[in-house]
Amino acid sequence: MKKLVIPLLVSGLGLLIIGASFLFSAKGSGSLDIDIVKTATLMPAAHNVYANEEALDGKYYLFKAKITNTSKSTLEDVTVRYRIPGYIEWTELDVIGEMFSGQTASVRCYPKFPESIAEKMTESSEKAEIEISWDGASEDDMIEEEFGFRISSRGEYMFTNIPASEIAGWADVYNNDALLACYVTPNDPIVQYYTQNIQEKILMGEAASVTKDPNEAIRFLTGIYNATILSHMVYSGTKGIPESLQDVSKFSQKNRLPREVITGNTGLCLELSLLYASVLSNAGLDPIIFLVPGHAYPGFKLNGQYYAIEATGIGGEGLGKIMSADEAFQTGQKELSEFIKMWQNGDPRYTMVDIHEVNQEGVTPMALKDDAFLRKKVDDIVGSWSAAGTTTLVGNNGTQNTRLVSNTSGGNSSGASSSSGGRALSLAIPQGWQTLMRPAPQIPILTAQASSPDQSMSISVYDVPANNGAEAMNAISSTLYNYGMSVEFQMDGSTVYGNTYSNEGTYTWVAKTLRKNGGIRVVAIGSPDYLFQSNSGTINQLFNSIR
Amino acid sequence: MKNYRNFITLLFVLFMGAVYGQQQMQQKIDMRIDSIGNAKIKLSMTMNAQQWQIWQGSLGNNPAALKREVERGMPGYFLDDFKLEKDEMNRSFELSLNAYGACNIDKRGTWIVETDQKNANLTKLTEHKYMLVSSPIESGGTIQQTYTIELPEVATNVKVDTDAYGKSIFKFKMKSPSGGFNLLRLSGLALFVIGGIWTGGKLVSKSKS
Repeated sequence: MKKLVIPLLVSGLGLLIIGASFLFSAKGSGSLDIDIVKTATLMPAAHNVYANEEALDGKYYLFKAKITNTSKSTLEDVTVRYRIPGYIEWTELDVIGEMFSGQTASVRCYPKFPESIAEKMTESSEKAEIEISWDGASEDDMIEEEFGFRISSRGEYMFTNIPASEIAGWADVYNNDALLACYVTPNDPIVQYYTQNIQEKILMGEAASVTKDPNEAIRFLTGIYNATILSHMVYSGTKGIPESLQDVSKFSQKNRLPREVITGNTGLCLELSLLYASVLSNAGLDPIIFLVPGHAYPGFKLNGQYYAIEATGIGGEGLGKIMSADEAFQTGQKELSEFIKMWQNGDPRYTMVDIHEVNQEGVTPMALKDDAFLRKKVDDIVGSWSAAGTTTLVGNNGTQNTRLVSNTSGGNSSGASSSSGGRALSLAIPQGWQTLMRPAPQIPILTAQASSPDQSMSISVYDVPANNGAEAMNAISSTLYNYGMSVEFQMDGSTVYGNTYSNEGTYTWVAKTLRKNGGIRVVAIGSPDYLFQSNSGTINQLFNSIR
Repeated sequence: MKNYRNFITLLFVLFMGAVYGQQQMQQKIDMRIDSIGNAKIKLSMTMNAQQWQIWQGSLGNNPAALKREVERGMPGYFLDDFKLEKDEMNRSFELSLNAYGACNIDKRGTWIVETDQKNANLTKLTEHKYMLVSSPIESGGTIQQTYTIELPEVATNVKVDTDAYGKSIFKFKMKSPSGGFNLLRLSGLALFVIGGIWTGGKLVSKSKS
């Protein structure tokens, strides 16, 4: 028996060594290296993009981690978890079935933030925590990492997520341009409501997306412009689009959302472009935002052709320069022509964002809730389109341009829901003239009146429910007769010459009539008879500017 | 492969405006995956005079911008070891780079390589090598890309499958390159066998005596 002791010991030792080999290569004994690349700033408006690994080929992540197994053994079920205190609780990001010695895994984090992040109005600094464990790992083995990042306010748009020091070209400056689609909100109930009102009250019906007729689509585009003009929307800038690669201060911009542009009645080029894109998209057209150095303007694509409008043509009385819808469209088309030329030459400063195309790539807008207060504000704005016959005074290089939209409600002065828009009748008004909407409420057909600073000349706009010019003039005569005025007139086609007699003397005038939807619009320009001759130059000029 | 295709498309978008509708360009992309899931990618192509001039002006003479474009096109991966070799005489270039963690491994330890194409028309060249020819829509048909995807020699059970989005993927199994018996285990086994034979010998001799 003693002779067997040694060989049995050898076998036993062999078994021990085999056991030890399994013990030393146990699953728990491992080590990992982790290298994290993080996003410095996360835009709440784009939270749906950050949550979608398929969006833009996964370009927008919160972080990506390069995890390398530096141990000599294979690790099983390597689990990566993360959390963002206050937003996302511990969430399993990935489980890697096995990681060989030396193997590297790339793990990306696409965080799903709660929808409420879209209501975040201020920026904040946040922290993300990462934990990596594997089968058999002890508390000491587990890897814990954390990093800080910034969540901007809802409206802030970063043109690029590349650090300023790394900007090497315009492709870097426009690195985030696809995310502009996140700020285009066609499904926002407020934008939908606004669009419906444009379609109903400004355009009196619209079918561009159905007919695919460019003229109809252009009518819609200019209809949006008219809506902004009629609501006295003004251009106002904070920070604009970058103009050069050194323009670091403009690499981010705090945007008002389209609903805020509508209700705030002010916007700068990019904000107006986002508004147009939202309304166009809501109406079923393909909106495009054109970006050029220092500027942006909206348009659409139809049947393979691009169209654009200079939305900032609304200017503002304080800014002086204001374009009519036609001028804004012509300017937009001119800019577009230049754009296409530069774009085809490969100039990277000229780029466009096809909103629906990037939508299909997963760039979807934030969800916005309905808001009774904002709806009420839209109602007020829509009311301003129709109240007082929707006459708007705007300046134009030393003159002002009166934009008139017919009111076919038959003199309903309540306005909000009874007026309807139609083809406008415009004339240039010299700067400094005073304009009054509904100057005499007791005379509902008198829509607006403008008078020269010295009161020697005036313009009167009448909207009369009549079938022709003669009927309209007779109706005006009858109305004014009730107020002690007697009208004599002579018609020559659409032109009318006449005198109005009252206790204050004789007023001589010339007028033009235009058929409107369901009525006649009369624009009369005149002067006291003893001043008519001396003012005839200005009166003729004004009369000839009526179109 | 999902993002490789995209970056290659993107690489040429920069001058597509000028060459659009002209002579079709041929690209060759080789992707070789090693035994721990990293990929070595080589992209090569030859251009005509006009294409070469435009490419030189945009990226060819600015390797840093080229690197940035590639990184922009493959945002999810960790890339390094970029090398650009140009053959000016023949108007061609070859770009090579490494992509770490190019394969996914699911919970069951199955290795996955994505193609980002629905019903990809894959041609099996060998047990571990496949070819795919495509013409990206983004290029308007002016770029024809020929991919070869080489899976590791140690890959087993290679299958072409579809993912949740209906896109073609490769699935395979791999064993750890450092797997099998280690030295300690081998020594223990040897001792166990020697001891067993020795014991057996002693028992046999004892029974004879």
